[in-house]
Amino acid sequence: MIRRVLSRPAGRIAVAILSVIVLLAIFGSALAPSSPLATTSAQLGHISGSHWLGTDYLGRDTLSRLLAGSRASIVGAIEVALIAFFIGAVPGIACVYLGRVFEWLTLRLVDTLISLPFLLVAVAVTALLGNGMTVALLVVGVLLAPSFYRVSRAATLSVARSQYVEAAQLSGASLTWIVRSHVLSKVLPPISVTLASTVGTGFVVVSSLSFLGIGVQPPAPTWGGLLSSDLNYLSYQPWAPVAPALLIIATVWAANLLADAIRDVSGDAGRAYVSARVKRPRQPVLSRGGE
Amino acid sequence: MAFITGTAGRETEPATAAAADPILSVRDVHIRDQGTGREIVHGISFELAPGQAVGIVGESGSGKTLTCRAALGILPDQLQVSAGSITLAGHDIAGLSGKQWTGLRGSTISAVFQDPSSYLNPSIQVGPQIAEVIRVKKKVRRREARDRALQLLRSVRLRNPENVYSQYPYELSGGMLQRVLIAAAIAADPKVLIADEATTALDVIVQAEILDLLAALREDTGLALVIVAHDLAVVAQLCDQVLVLRHGEVVEHGSTADVLYRPRHDYTKLLISEHEQYGLDRFLDSPRPDQA
Amino acid sequence: MSARALVEVEDLNVHYGLGRHRRQVLDGVTLSVCGGEAVGIVGETGSGKSTLARAVLGLVPISAGRVVIDGLDVSKASARQWRALRRAGVLAYVFQDSLRSLDPDRSVGDSLVEPLLIQGIARAAADARARAFLDRVHLDADLLGRLPGALSGGQRQRVAVARALVTEPKLIMLDEPVSALDSANRVQVLEILKGLRETGVALVFISHDLGSVAGLTDRIAVLYQGELVEVGPTRAVINAPRHVYTRLLVDSAPTLRSAAAKRSARESLRALLNP
Repeated sequence: MIRRVLSRPAGRIAVAILSVIVLLAIFGSALAPSSPLATTSAQLGHISGSHWLGTDYLGRDTLSRLLAGSRASIVGAIEVALIAFFIGAVPGIACVYLGRVFEWLTLRLVDTLISLPFLLVAVAVTALLGNGMTVALLVVGVLLAPSFYRVSRAATLSVARSQYVEAAQLSGASLTWIVRSHVLSKVLPPISVTLASTVGTGFVVVSSLSFLGIGVQPPAPTWGGLLSSDLNYLSYQPWAPVAPALLIIATVWAANLLADAIRDVSGDAGRAYVSARVKRPRQPVLSRGGE
Repeated sequence: MAFITGTAGRETEPATAAAADPILSVRDVHIRDQGTGREIVHGISFELAPGQAVGIVGESGSGKTLTCRAALGILPDQLQVSAGSITLAGHDIAGLSGKQWTGLRGSTISAVFQDPSSYLNPSIQVGPQIAEVIRVKKKVRRREARDRALQLLRSVRLRNPENVYSQYPYELSGGMLQRVLIAAAIAADPKVLIADEATTALDVIVQAEILDLLAALREDTGLALVIVAHDLAVVAQLCDQVLVLRHGEVVEHGSTADVLYRPRHDYTKLLISEHEQYGLDRFLDSPRPDQA
Repeated sequence: MSARALVEVEDLNVHYGLGRHRRQVLDGVTLSVCGGEAVGIVGETGSGKSTLARAVLGLVPISAGRVVIDGLDVSKASARQWRALRRAGVLAYVFQDSLRSLDPDRSVGDSLVEPLLIQGIARAAADARARAFLDRVHLDADLLGRLPGALSGGQRQRVAVARALVTEPKLIMLDEPVSALDSANRVQVLEILKGLRETGVALVFISHDLGSVAGLTDRIAVLYQGELVEVGPTRAVINAPRHVYTRLLVDSAPTLRSAAAKRSARESLRALLNP
C-alpha cells in the first residue's frame, strides 16, 4: 500500500513535506544556531546574519525557537492521533463481535463525545485538571476518538456481513483468522485515512491550545505559542507570524494530502488501480461473464 | 457469410410477412459510436408485420438492446445509426423531430425493459402513474383516465385491479410490477411492443405468466411484438421469426422452425445444444398424456 | 451409491422473527442425500431453498427437526463443534455470486487455498494441492495472481468451484451456480460439474430453474412455500409430476419446443394454485 501511495504525485509531495517536518522534530533542537531560551538585548531585531529570522520581543532567536518548538508541536499532534486511534478504533472493531450491549454502550458514549463543543471542552478540562501538556493531549485525543470509532465500526460491519467472510466461516475459520485475514485489510485503509487527517486536526488543536496558553507553558517554544506572541508585536514585526503560520499550514496541508492519497488507492479505486497495472493478454470476448 | 440477413433469411420467413405492410422495418442497420469510431452493430435487418412476433437472441454486448433503442429513438448521444434505415408505420425515423417522436412513442411503438421498479416513481402509487400516461396520450379527464387504468390493469391479468391501483411500487412483486409496466406501455394502444429482456430477472413461473400475457395480448389486439432475450427457448415460445445476434452481427435469421431445427451457425447450435444437453428438452421426448 | 446418507434432514422447521412477526420459512422438510448422488432442490424466490442449504450448513438456527451430516447429529451443535466439522471438509458450498464470495482485496490464488490454510496445511503444500484442481475447472495458473474483479464472471465462478474442491469434500452444494453466466460459460461450468459427478462427489443443486438442474441430477426435490411438495427421480418428476405446483413448474420452464400448446394447461394450473 505504501508503494501505491508513493506512486501518486500527491502522495509523494505529502510524504516529502511530512518527512521534512518529522526530521525537524527529531533534529530541530540540534540544528538551532542558538539556544531558544537565550535572551539577548537585540529585541525585535530584523533578519540579519546572526539571526536569520530575526529575534522576538525578548531578543531570542526566532529561527532557533521555531526549530526547537517543532518537536513539541509535532510530537503532540502524533500523540493526539495515536490516543484517538486506540480509544476509538479498538472498541469500533470489537463492538461488532462483543454483543449488542457493548455496542449500544459505546455508541451512546460516542454520540455524547461528538456532541461536545470541541475547543471549549478542551480548554475547560485542562483548566480543571491542571495545565500540563499531557492532560491537554489526552483530552483532545478522547474528543477526536469518535471518528476512529465510526470509521472502524462501519468498515468492520461491512466485512463481517460479507459473503467471503461467510465462505471462510464455512471452511471452519476461527474469529481470529477472519479478523486477521479479512477484517484488518479492509479496516486499515479507512483508519489510515482517518489517522492522517487526525494528525492534521490534532496539530491545529494543539497549536490552538498553545496559542491560548494551554498545554506547553512559556518560555518553552511551540509554533502556536510563537504565533500568539508574534501577534502581540505585529506593529514592530509584521512579517513575524508568517514563519510559524506557514509551518503549521504546511504540516496540516501535507497531512490531509496524505489522507487523500491513501483514500485514492484503497477501496474500489485501489483495486481498479492494482488490476490496471497487471499486464494481461487480451481475452476472447466469449469468456466475458454475462451481466 | 451467407448467414447474415438478406435473401437467405427472407426466403424462409412465413408467407404472411409479404402480405401486409410491415409495421416495423429494419434494413441493414449499422450503429456506430461517434466518439471512438467503432461500429457496434454490423447490419441487422428484419421486417415485422402487424400481429407478428420477432425474437432477438443474444448475450449482453451483442447489440440487441441498441437495436431496440434505435427503433425507439433513444440511442445514447454518442451512438448513431450510421447506415441503413428503420421505418416505423411508414415513417422513416431518420428525419423525425423530437415532437414527432413524442407523438409516435406510446401510441405507435412502446417498450418494457428488464428492471420494472426503476421505471416507476417509487413515491407515487402505481395506478395514478398509468392514469397519467392515459391522460397525456389520450387527452381525457382524470376520472376517465382512472377507469381506463383499472381496465388496463384487468387486461394484464392482475387479480385485484382496485387494490393494485393504490399500491406503491415497493409493495408489489417483480411479476406484478412488470404487468403494471406492460399496462402503461399498452395504454395508448401501440402497434408494436418491444420487450427487452422483460422476463430475465423473473422466476420461471412468473416469466411464463408474462410471456403468456404477451401472447394473449397479441392474439386479442393484434399487437406486434419484438421479444429480446438471451434464452433461445423464451423467444421460441412466442415468436414467428428469430434473429440470433453475436458481437453485433446477425449470425442466424429465419422462421422459428428453421432456426430451431435447421440451424446453420455454430453459435446457434451451441445455444440449442445447451438446452438439449442440460435442459428440460432432454426429458420431454414425448408429449405428456394430459396434453392435447 | 453408498447406503448411508451423507446428509439427512428430518422434519426440519426454521422460522425467523418473534411473536407477531414470526415467519415460518421451512415446514417439516425431510430429505436425504447419499454419497455420489446429485439432487436438485427447485423452488422460487421465497420458497425456502436457500434457507434449507443454510440450515444444513449451520448458518441459521433450527427451530425443530434434525440435521445429520455424515452420521453426526448437528441440530444442536455448538460453534466449536461446527468449526471442527467444517475443518474436516466434508461439505463444501459454492455461492451464487462469485464476485461477492471472493475477498476483493486478495488474489484469487489466496482465496483458493484459504480452506486448506484454515485446516493448518502449510502454504507451499496448500498451493501444490490446489493447483491439481485447476485443470479440472479449466483454469490457467497465471490467473491466480489476479484480483477477483479482474476476472470474467465465468472465470470467477470456476475459481469458486475449484475452491469448493480443494478440501476434497464428499458433497458440494451449489446455489444457482450458472444463473448469472452467459451461454458459453454456462455450458462450460455444467460440463465441469458433470465431470465432477464421475469422481463420486455428491452434488446438491439449488435453483429456481428446473431446466438447468434437469440435465445433471438423479433426483429432484420441489419446495413450495417452505414445504417439500414433491421428491422423486428427475425423469419421473419432469414427465409425470404429481403436485400442482410441480406441474406448473414443468410447464413454465422454457423449452425449445413451442410452449404455446401448454398455455391453457398453465392457466388452469395457476387457477388451481391461487383460487
